[in-house]
Amino acid sequence: MSAIAAEIKAEVPAKRGSLKRSRRWALVWSYVFLIMFAVFFLMPPVYMLIMGLKSSGEIASMSNPWWVFHPTLDNFIALLTSEQYLTFFRNSAVISLAVVAITMLIAVPAAFSLGRMKFWGSTTLAAGVFLTYLVPDTLLFIPLFKIMAWVHDTTGIALLNHWWALIIIYPTLTVPFCTWIMIGYFQSIPKELDEAALIDGAGYIQMLTKIFLPVALPGIIAATIFAFTVSWSEFLYPMAFTVSADQLVLPVGIVTTLIKGDVYNWGQIMAACLMGAAPPLIIYAFLMDYYIAGLTAGATKG
Amino acid sequence: MTSSKSFTRRRFLATTAAASAVTLSPPFIRTSRAAGKISVAFWDHWVPGANKAMEAVCHEWAAKNKVDISIDFITSQGAKLELTIAAEKLAKSGHDLVQPSAWSPAAYAEDFEPVDDIMAAAIKANGPTYPIVDYLAKIKGHWVAAPAVTGSQLKPPCARISLLKKFADLDVTKMYAGPGGHSDKALQDAWTWDKYLDVAIKCAKGGVPFGLGLSGTTDYVDWAGALFHAYGAELVNAKGDVTVNSDNTKQVLEWAQRLVPALPKDVIAWDDASNNKAFISGQASLIMNPPSAWAVAKRDNPAVASDTWIFATPKGPKGRYAPALPFFWAVWKFSPNKSAAKSLLAHLLSRQSAERFVAASVGYDIPGFKNLRDFKTWSEVDPPKGVVYNYPPTPDQIVTVAGSPAPVHVANQIYTQGLMTKMIAKCTFEKESIKDTIAWAEKQLAAYTMM
Amino acid sequence: MANGITVQAPAPPAARRMTMQKLMRRRSTTALALALPLILLISGLVIYPAFFAMYLSMLDRKMETFTGMRNILFLMHFDTFWMVVKQSCIFALSAVFFKALIGFVTSHLVHNLPPKGQRKWRGMLLVPWVIPTAMSTIAWFWLFDPAYSAINWILAKFGIGPVPWLGVTSWARFSVILVNVWYGAPFFLIMYLAALKSVPDQLYEAAAIDGANWWQKVWYVTLPMMRNIIAITMLFSLIVTFANFDIVRILTAGGPVDSTHVFATWAFSLGIQGNNIPMGASVSLFMLPILGVAAFFILRDINRRGSSV
Repeated sequence: MSAIAAEIKAEVPAKRGSLKRSRRWALVWSYVFLIMFAVFFLMPPVYMLIMGLKSSGEIASMSNPWWVFHPTLDNFIALLTSEQYLTFFRNSAVISLAVVAITMLIAVPAAFSLGRMKFWGSTTLAAGVFLTYLVPDTLLFIPLFKIMAWVHDTTGIALLNHWWALIIIYPTLTVPFCTWIMIGYFQSIPKELDEAALIDGAGYIQMLTKIFLPVALPGIIAATIFAFTVSWSEFLYPMAFTVSADQLVLPVGIVTTLIKGDVYNWGQIMAACLMGAAPPLIIYAFLMDYYIAGLTAGATKG
Repeated sequence: MTSSKSFTRRRFLATTAAASAVTLSPPFIRTSRAAGKISVAFWDHWVPGANKAMEAVCHEWAAKNKVDISIDFITSQGAKLELTIAAEKLAKSGHDLVQPSAWSPAAYAEDFEPVDDIMAAAIKANGPTYPIVDYLAKIKGHWVAAPAVTGSQLKPPCARISLLKKFADLDVTKMYAGPGGHSDKALQDAWTWDKYLDVAIKCAKGGVPFGLGLSGTTDYVDWAGALFHAYGAELVNAKGDVTVNSDNTKQVLEWAQRLVPALPKDVIAWDDASNNKAFISGQASLIMNPPSAWAVAKRDNPAVASDTWIFATPKGPKGRYAPALPFFWAVWKFSPNKSAAKSLLAHLLSRQSAERFVAASVGYDIPGFKNLRDFKTWSEVDPPKGVVYNYPPTPDQIVTVAGSPAPVHVANQIYTQGLMTKMIAKCTFEKESIKDTIAWAEKQLAAYTMM
Repeated sequence: MANGITVQAPAPPAARRMTMQKLMRRRSTTALALALPLILLISGLVIYPAFFAMYLSMLDRKMETFTGMRNILFLMHFDTFWMVVKQSCIFALSAVFFKALIGFVTSHLVHNLPPKGQRKWRGMLLVPWVIPTAMSTIAWFWLFDPAYSAINWILAKFGIGPVPWLGVTSWARFSVILVNVWYGAPFFLIMYLAALKSVPDQLYEAAAIDGANWWQKVWYVTLPMMRNIIAITMLFSLIVTFANFDIVRILTAGGPVDSTHVFATWAFSLGIQGNNIPMGASVSLFMLPILGVAAFFILRDINRRGSSV
């Protein structure tokens, strides 16, 4: 490819200069627009930071909203020493990690089965997985109460108002998309691999764990990150299914305990939001490349 | 049931002053089923520190009766309270005792344990209830919930003394004097919605408009409801007929058309916090709010707080209606520990408990019983002295809830959809004619009655 | 789960067929076993509740008597319902369109950068998608707040009068869409970037030799190569946007005068706040056919292109 390119360049030396110049201009314009988009995209988080650093007195005085005149860490310290906020954080973390694990345990074998092992009804099922995505949480949360009542009546276990119940419910949000990504990924792996494995006398389970999992690692990481983001930010289900302050997760905890109807404690709310957004941000900062690699293979083939 | 029997047998002193010493709580008799564990959920109070009194009262009761109690406070922000009640009803599990907001008792009448015995005793001790309490919680002759002390609120004018004096020449402390003072009856008689409009326009000209929101949140639906009532503009009558198309409604909307230009431009998008913010920051001269705005101003902007006065709602051709938003306490039928929950409920309704709640909420809470409006708190709280003295309704005021007297489920929709504020917004911000607005409202109401 | 299947390599033809059949049966059983948790999860916590929601929607307000299609028929005759349908469609379609547009443009801009700098920009531009919406919407709510609006503060410096972001129907509609676009565009950016990276460079070079300009390259090379991913991403986003709850709920709660209500928020206000759960369920059910139609068209489109390529 580079050889061809070199040939072209050699053939049209006159054009090369203008090409270079237009490249440079394209780059400059790219930066100009990117900066504009970055300003738009980063405005709310930056605003959170500014407000989080202000005292409530400074906020009430309505001075320049984009500048901190007397920065203080009080809001952050108050949150980090508040047992309640740390409980929200812990609940969010435990739930998200558990949901990621459960999601992967369900989605990866299912995707392998649907994507590689074609059986009777597998295509219908694969389409069905996609279609479950059409049923939104806003429709499901009320019937889910009824299922909780049924569980309570038959087993005596109360699911309402227990954070761990969310671990059972969240996978409905994460599994369909992750399965779909993984189906795409598994399908992109050359057929020769499983034939070789079969000839070597490997069973399907061995084939999955020994050969496919390592190859599909980028896809798995992408799906993991997706599942984590979704569980971390889910709002309606925890809003509907948990009540007590020690059972809440971050988004709901912030909205219901820091906002006191008449009186918004803005500095703390903004600080709480910013810290609440930190874990997924950090994960993305480190695993971004895998994410893109995983999506490239999985999504484009789907 | 044993506990309730012992309860009715008790004698209660009806006279309020003497009753303050009496504890209303009956001895809690533990049955074999009552394992001595109870979980309760209350409204998360907007006055800083008011939850503490509730915790203290509950823990004292629990210690005396040797019951383990766990207490949750649920915000009404974002309808979390309604959502929780619906969730627990559907999931048939949750708290034993809950605090539903105004419209839930009727909607969950079948799911709440009747509390006729407790209410009979409470009425005997604390005096009769306000009629709206009966309207909301006495369903088919049975009390399905008891009027909660905490959270039940009025939304009278909460104004800046100096600004109203300066721009409208109205001394509200003279019109509704503090403890020991003499209120000017003539001024009170002249305190009509027309006068109110006049003051609003003058204050707006002075650069400090009234902070009256016109969105669908409770603060604004409440005051609009009182306005409609004062003019006799009934949207749906008690029988369930749509009666919005009346001269009275027209009168209200015409009044509103004159008011709106004097309000801040964005009131249509205000939430329950916006009026407080406007008031506390000194941008608004008057809001319709319980004393929470003042209580926060005391903390964040003391200058505004000490210039604040709360007094009666203006009157209209049909009387002086005070906008109220009551909360209730109710026991679930599915509760495994109903007797304990009912015992706690009775304890919460005692005069002694009520007085502590009112004190902790700096007078914010208005108990639903008529003899419980003489607590010291309302005269003592300051600055300025007597700021909430006129907050509890006087006998000439008709305590009302927006949407009444329509059948409760219809009024529920009128209230939660904020139909009154929407009507005002339509014929002002959206520039529709009054005739079209009423026609639109008629259609909405017809739909509500069919739901 | 010791499921290892040992294949005897040298075997007579008949025996061999036997093992193949056995193998196939084994294979189906294993496959089913692997997919079983998924099937259980989806049927128990998605499909069954969805059907239960249909049943719920046929009850009366007290959830005691069965009323058949009464609620549905009632909604069909209620003008506010049709307004919500219209608003939901405007909201979802325009939000998805702008998300796709911004995602497309930004992905190209990032792709144009030298590889070293891409990481940084990608990271920055992905931030909105990573912050939980409930939290970022609170920040937006405050940026729009009438008294404290930090955006209006900047606009005022340029002499632009206060914009009633949430106070006027048109602006409020604009604002909820804006926040949704802000939140969703980075997802498109990432998906499109992933797709762009899989377009072979030779295609562009070939186009360059043919004298294609930038637009022509986009039109004739990029778009056809990205067609599937564009469609799939839009479909996913359409579903999520259509069913959106938290942004509208926190930002405007449906106001002013119901003008920003979408299905989920209106259902919530009728069902939970209005204490009429079956009515709320009926409203949310209407999301299904609309989404189903969208899914049908987009998936059909993908299949057709897929088979023709």
